[in-house]
Amino acid sequence: MLLVENLQKSFDGFIAVSDARLEVEKGEVVAVIGPNGAGKTTLFNLITGQLRADSGRLLFKGENISGMPPYGICRKGISRSFQVVNIFARLTVFENVRVSVISHNKRTFNLFSRAESIAVSETEEILKSLGFSEKSDRISGSLSHGDQKVLEMAIALGNRPELLILDEPTAGMSPEETRDTLELMKLLSRERGITILFCEHDMELVFSISNRIMVMQHGRTIIQGKPDVVRNDTHVQEAYLGGADERF
Amino acid sequence: MSERSAWKALAPWLAVFVLLLLAPRFLPRFQIYLTGLILTTGLLAVSLNLVLGLGGMYQFHHAVFYGIGAYTVALVITKTALSPWIGFLLAPVVSALFSLAIGLICVRLSKLYFGMLQISLGSLVWAVVFRWYSFTGGDDGIHGIPVPDIISSTDGAYYFSLILTAICLIVMQRIVNSPFGRSFQAVRDNPVRSEAVGINVKRVQLTGMVISGAFAGIAGSMFVVIEGSVFPELMFWTLSLEIIIMCLLGGWFTFLGPMLGAAIIVLLRTVVGIYTEYWTLVLGIVLMLLILFLPQGVLGYFLEIFKRGGMKAVQERK
Amino acid sequence: MDFASNITISALFQQTLVGLSRTTILFIVASGLSLILGVLRIPNVAHGSLYMIGAFIMYSVNLFFGGGQAGFWMAVLLSPLAVALISLVVERGLFQYLYEREHLMLLLFTFSITLVFGDLVKMVWGSDYRCVDLPAAFQGFYTILGFPFPRYNFFLIITGPVVAFGLWFLTNMTRIGKIARAAAVDREMVGAVGINVSLVFAAVFVIGCFLAGLGGALVAPTQNIRQGMDHAIIIEAFLIVIMGGLGNIWGALLGALIFGLTDSIGILVWPQFAIVFPYVVVVIVLLFCPKGLLKSTW
Repeated sequence: MLLVENLQKSFDGFIAVSDARLEVEKGEVVAVIGPNGAGKTTLFNLITGQLRADSGRLLFKGENISGMPPYGICRKGISRSFQVVNIFARLTVFENVRVSVISHNKRTFNLFSRAESIAVSETEEILKSLGFSEKSDRISGSLSHGDQKVLEMAIALGNRPELLILDEPTAGMSPEETRDTLELMKLLSRERGITILFCEHDMELVFSISNRIMVMQHGRTIIQGKPDVVRNDTHVQEAYLGGADERF
Repeated sequence: MSERSAWKALAPWLAVFVLLLLAPRFLPRFQIYLTGLILTTGLLAVSLNLVLGLGGMYQFHHAVFYGIGAYTVALVITKTALSPWIGFLLAPVVSALFSLAIGLICVRLSKLYFGMLQISLGSLVWAVVFRWYSFTGGDDGIHGIPVPDIISSTDGAYYFSLILTAICLIVMQRIVNSPFGRSFQAVRDNPVRSEAVGINVKRVQLTGMVISGAFAGIAGSMFVVIEGSVFPELMFWTLSLEIIIMCLLGGWFTFLGPMLGAAIIVLLRTVVGIYTEYWTLVLGIVLMLLILFLPQGVLGYFLEIFKRGGMKAVQERK
Repeated sequence: MDFASNITISALFQQTLVGLSRTTILFIVASGLSLILGVLRIPNVAHGSLYMIGAFIMYSVNLFFGGGQAGFWMAVLLSPLAVALISLVVERGLFQYLYEREHLMLLLFTFSITLVFGDLVKMVWGSDYRCVDLPAAFQGFYTILGFPFPRYNFFLIITGPVVAFGLWFLTNMTRIGKIARAAAVDREMVGAVGINVSLVFAAVFVIGCFLAGLGGALVAPTQNIRQGMDHAIIIEAFLIVIMGGLGNIWGALLGALIFGLTDSIGILVWPQFAIVFPYVVVVIVLLFCPKGLLKSTW
């Protein structure tokens, strides 16, 4: 479904991603792991078009998506959440999700119908599936951090993605919230058939849900494979033992 | 919203409208003229707020589109044999076209750069109008423009501006609450996220500018009817900043706040002008106090008291 | 239309020199604006008012000293200083509390100062035009390559590079200049190493405004001093700063040069639309380099 080949990106001479390779099959849950600064977020930003790659190939469902603007990539069926909460802080929870549903329904440039009566049921359904119904009238900026992370996902779901990219979905969450998020991801994968690509520091979570894992270090892909293979790979162990991430 | 509560919400506005319709029966001519001017300026300010408040764009030179609307009407009437009404139809169209052209150039940039480039382009338009004596009348402008009889009297001009303002406000209110309006708001709040949910941010901003420019053009055509003249000051940058002040004064997170701001400024100018020639001094001091102590605007201030919880959290995040 | 019919070598030469002296004024004003924009991030609309005030004070001081050499030099010296003093009061009294506000608010705030200053000038000096007579030494013409050229314009053309060098020296060779440049890039960092950023900002603001006053003082003898000259200069200065690159002193010089020359040469080409040319050039430049010609400090 998604194919990343030899992707490269540098900022002012600093090479953030030097050789990223990644393959995601339809229906899979794929994790990207690696120490801080390995280039995971940069990789995601390259895939979803926030950044433009210097070189390399990006194929989604066989179509070249590199160089497309973020909104174009989103319309192809990839949506994402952000690591640092990135929501419409002045809008209500409901409006946050509705905006992306409106965009998905191609109603963004509809000038004269009433927004109040548009996309209501779809938005409600998404909020309900995340257990967010009661909070739908809250100003999203006033939510707790954990709730805002969930809202991140809700906004991404508004686009009815085929591929959902989650950048550290549980960062800063309490253990209970983390567990809920894990359940949610399983649910999305199993019942909605959404393909998920995510990166995460919580290794327990990663190994409990992923079909495949890709490991990054210094901007390059070390390995991509089944959890067992990755767990026992000597390069990975070196990368982590030599690296600074004590959570592994 | 149920049928009944919808009427309840609408009732005060209907009352205001009826009151304004009857105003010429009990107000003297000068005050009718003044009310018409407030409506015109108010419409201009509300149209600016579409991009400034709703869209969060630094539209620094909105007056250009106002001036273009006014000049379109004036030129159609004085330079062509066409029906004056064609001029009124053309005003929003021409303003929208200029908005589109200026917008296409500016929209690549954001915030202060956007605003400054817009000021450059707007000043270019102003400079051309200011100097093109044979066509625009140059710095003298065009005076004594013969508008159609039915709207040439004080009352006629007043009704014209009242009805146009009412229609425009209804349409703009509709746009604000449309899916486009919501998306525009989302773009203001977070352009990066908007792109990530599939919104073409630049196109939304451009559309917003064109719509807002068209309404400014309508306001410009109303000005011609009320004053019977046009002059380059209509598109000078100081007027643009004055309109921004109106939005700030009334509160740019509200739909009608800018209308209130326009009323305050027009009245202030008239009333203070009676007592002293130094009315801009008063305006300057009012503005300073406003920025120092009431950045949400008058109307916004009262609304904020209700919503304080939510807003506070947002500001802390920033 | 006598389009471009009056272009002769002599006229071209003269207009170039006129354009260069205009450049000096524009540069002095714009560099002050650019300095404030670059370091303090304030789009200071009141800069134009300070320029106007500089011109009016020039008039008054010159009058006080009875004109002539003494009056002229005292005025050129004192009026920028007086403007600097005014700006110090404004900065310490108002601006220092507003640095964290967004640009739009700062813009409107400086506009409100413009409104206040405009009327204050009207109160003090009235609405009439004022003129400053040049001292005898500056009257008359030099003959350059056989062409007559006003002595005062010559003086202006020399002043421009002097001010540019002074600014360069200030920003690159002095401690305060280095701190200010560092603060322009990262003000928290500068604050973190124990430097009083607030005072540095005040100094930069005052220096920038001093330049506005100097520009006003120098322009006074060449034109009518009047209400409204603040509105005219500030828009030009902004365009120059944007065209040159925000916060870049050399950009301000380049921008002023382009602006001044297109203006003065434009008069030869098409007098009626001479004021349009600089705007056209700015627009063309910004079409291709939306962030200005030289590197901006933003």
